[in-house]
Amino acid sequence: MLRARLDLPLERDGSVRFLPWIVALMVYLASLALAGTLVVRDAVERWDRGLTGTLTVELPAASAGSRADGAVELALKVLRTTPGVVRADPVDARRTAALLEPWLGKDIDAEDLPLPRLIDVETEPRVGVDLAALGQRLAAAVPGAQLDDHRRWLDRVLRTALALEIVAGMVVALVGLAAVLAVVFATRTGLAVHHGIVEVLHLIGARDGYIARQFEWHALRLGIKGGIAGLLLATATLVGVAAAAQVGAIDDAVRVVPALSAPAIDWALLLLLPVVAGLVAMLTARITVLRALKRLP
Amino acid sequence: MRYGAGPEILRDITLRLEPGSFHFLTGSSGAGKSSLLKLMYLAERPSRGLISLFDRDIATTPRREMPALRRRIGVVFQDFRLIDHLSAFDNAALPLRVAGVDENQIKEHVTELLSWVGLGDLLAAKPPTLSGGQQQRVAIARAVIRRPNLLLADEPTGNVDEELALRLMRLFEELNRLGTTLVIATHNQSLVDRFDHPHLHLANGELHTGRARKRSVL
Repeated sequence: MLRARLDLPLERDGSVRFLPWIVALMVYLASLALAGTLVVRDAVERWDRGLTGTLTVELPAASAGSRADGAVELALKVLRTTPGVVRADPVDARRTAALLEPWLGKDIDAEDLPLPRLIDVETEPRVGVDLAALGQRLAAAVPGAQLDDHRRWLDRVLRTALALEIVAGMVVALVGLAAVLAVVFATRTGLAVHHGIVEVLHLIGARDGYIARQFEWHALRLGIKGGIAGLLLATATLVGVAAAAQVGAIDDAVRVVPALSAPAIDWALLLLLPVVAGLVAMLTARITVLRALKRLP
Repeated sequence: MRYGAGPEILRDITLRLEPGSFHFLTGSSGAGKSSLLKLMYLAERPSRGLISLFDRDIATTPRREMPALRRRIGVVFQDFRLIDHLSAFDNAALPLRVAGVDENQIKEHVTELLSWVGLGDLLAAKPPTLSGGQQQRVAIARAVIRRPNLLLADEPTGNVDEELALRLMRLFEELNRLGTTLVIATHNQSLVDRFDHPHLHLANGELHTGRARKRSVL
């Protein structure tokens, strides 16, 4: 398919031999940037799904750690009579202690500490709950009670994810621009080296498109070749990262971002990168040649 | 006509080639023969003046229509300008390929013409492996393969022996009989003298017309 007959000996040009390597490097960087975006987007989506339909009610700590003030029961009563609430369970002392374990160690008794008490609430996502009204009713029943729908935290995560996506997008754009410049340079060199043949073709009646096609096919081939090499390198890197995350070779912080967990369809999109690289190279070569040929009489 | 800011190479030239005519273009080296041919095969534009080709004013012809005009012109370049990595066959076939002619037709026509000019055994040979004369014949085959309306040849017999020169001239005359207008630039006064064709003589950038002194001996 890619073996078009060329009137120009472009394949022998030393000046374009570096082009597939440049494209490979560009596709490698673009693949990693896009893979990062996919992973972050998938993680954020999963967090969003996981937290949608859940609320946490935080009741102020009772004085002297006593839990006999009935605040939890009052709050539960309000919650369980609220339309849209499916379930409301207090977080018991054992779970509270487990949550605090990383900071306070195993030998603590949550009962003895003036800790805020939490109620885990599940809502019916389709019905929805009037959060403002619920918050007011809770505060009336238990002064100081706070309703948290995790939106604030999630919004911050979303903003961070968006910033990461923008950065990744810029990396891809810059990498694409650098690849375009490399193709322009290589094509211009090819035009200069084969100026004589190009002129003969022009003088015997070849249309600009005929001459441009020769450079296009060549650029497409080199672009796809480099693209495949870059993608293979990126795949090897990503597989390495995934393996490292699996065995815990990288510290726990890394595992906060679930490694390479984006859906298969998203990963399949990365397979298009070599084709995109080839098409960008092809289009760039075409435009470069057509612009140069306009200078001929 | 001038190149860049250089001196005027050709000036005050008024020339009309009747369709089907045959002219020799003579003049000493540097007289401007190649420059005049370049203007005719549309490789250069005049710095002033008017060129009309096939009843079209070149200055006002849109660029996209120029390839169609060029395909009606066959050119034999002085330095042949063959493409080294293509075979003799592919070089001669080039004008047909750029015009999108069917490959079967190309094979038939090109093989026949190259055989006619004595290169039937060298279809696959690359130009660097051919002698000067053989290269010249490939260049001529490329120029005439589309049976052009106008054939411009710059020293087309400069590298071949007398016998082959006459044979090539017969090819040109045959094309001329079929309606092709010819202009052949040459240094070879004896060739000019052998044929009864008018000649255009360039001297000091100006054009003079004349007639051959002898009749053809063919």
